[in-house]
Amino acid sequence: MTNRSGNALLTRFSGLLRLLPLLIVFAVWQVASTVGALPKWLMPSFFAVIASLADLVKSGEIVPHTIASLARAGAGFAIAVVAGILIGVLMARVRAVQLAMEPILMLIYPVPKPALIPLFMVWLGIGNFSKISVIALACLVPIVIATFNGARSVDPMLLWSARARGTSGRRLLWRVVIPSALPQIAAGVRTAIAIAIIVLVSSEFISSDSGLGYLIFSYGGVGAEDAMLAVVLYLAVLGYVFDRLYVASLRKAMAWHAFAH
Amino acid sequence: MRYGEGFDAVVALERIDLAVDRHEFVSIVGPSGCGKSTLLYLVGGFLRPTAGEIRLHDRPIEGPGRDRGIVFQRYSLFPWLTVRDNIAYGLRELGVARGECDRIVADHVRLVHLEGFERRYPRELSGGMQQRVAIAQTLACNPEILLMDEPFGALDAQTRRILQDELRRIWRRGSQTVLFVTHDVEEAVALGTRIVVMAARPGRIKEVLTRGFDVDDGDEFESNPAFVALKLHVWRSVKEEVDAARA
Repeated sequence: MTNRSGNALLTRFSGLLRLLPLLIVFAVWQVASTVGALPKWLMPSFFAVIASLADLVKSGEIVPHTIASLARAGAGFAIAVVAGILIGVLMARVRAVQLAMEPILMLIYPVPKPALIPLFMVWLGIGNFSKISVIALACLVPIVIATFNGARSVDPMLLWSARARGTSGRRLLWRVVIPSALPQIAAGVRTAIAIAIIVLVSSEFISSDSGLGYLIFSYGGVGAEDAMLAVVLYLAVLGYVFDRLYVASLRKAMAWHAFAH
Repeated sequence: MRYGEGFDAVVALERIDLAVDRHEFVSIVGPSGCGKSTLLYLVGGFLRPTAGEIRLHDRPIEGPGRDRGIVFQRYSLFPWLTVRDNIAYGLRELGVARGECDRIVADHVRLVHLEGFERRYPRELSGGMQQRVAIAQTLACNPEILLMDEPFGALDAQTRRILQDELRRIWRRGSQTVLFVTHDVEEAVALGTRIVVMAARPGRIKEVLTRGFDVDDGDEFESNPAFVALKLHVWRSVKEEVDAARA
């Protein structure tokens, strides 16, 4: 009985409960700062960071940087989604493409993409083009792998079903292969959202005069740790919101699939 | 029918010789591994025979075609399509006009008693309902031959029984020829007007029995001595093969 009512309570406040561990971390952080266990020169207090964040938002200073960052990340991400699905499907259907792409993918998979930024700058200049290219490359990898695996593991019975009902040739791709790979493609795209943000910030550390990464780097450079951490926190919230929006829209758009979370 | 090459080759089917007439209901029963599904996939045109020929109206079968519809044990339905769109799938591929398509879909939804579930996705349905949709999806294309690969094999006993009755009713009203693969002897005898018993290793036809009496809807047929005798005969015949495979 107590167990069941406990569970009911859990479900009712699950939204709040999910935030509880975070609230505890923030509280411990703030208390440690207040009692002097965490000196200011080591790390600003939680409230100081929040106050900084409020200033950044209120003054509007963060807005143009957010726009610049989102444009870069969005462009790289969009290129990666289109190219990634295309390459992944081609790899799964055309043996030659698979043989050509697999070793290249395996080679770039473990490479920390931000390490390629200087190289891309030499090739493509120090402007947006090189940043967007690195973001696209980094996002491309999980999308290609997810699409490839999804398209490759289409149930042969499903293909037979479609063929017995009059679908053949390239139509099979649109009617069966891609739809049945969608859940895996969606998972790969979700990973790419997080990667886009990570690589975005790294790319803006180097030779940039706008963007959230630039903001973090310049505040860090002048010792304004509270403002620096405020931007980091802002990025974390931004990433979380994007992920939630993505998952929510997926659930709506792909109601036919049983998502695990 | 062989799989593989050289020393690794497996003879899956050998000397299959079977002629099926229009509107027959042929059950194919046998121990697992006897190649009964392989035989069905050959007729479906999904596999090519390595020797011999399968003819439909004196034309050799060269690939899947709309004249043959197939229902698998699972995975016949497209998970991303609703019940309605699944049933309409073959019609849309054929380019049937919208209104005509809607009418045929509505007819087939009614045929398998799924009114009210048109907008559901397969994962929202029970196994029995999913197989009903699969049958409707296949019948909507109006195939001459219905190939069924253990379509009720994953269902619980009651649901299986109900769907067997429905299938018999649908078959009796229509003009389809049915090839029905099962490992369930009672199902084979209760549905098939002819029962093909297969033997394993290599897969071959052991005997073909004709059911000389009618099986009506309801459950009276179960106490019919002729039914009991035929069921027992088929069961012993299959059991012999199971024992032989084990030895």
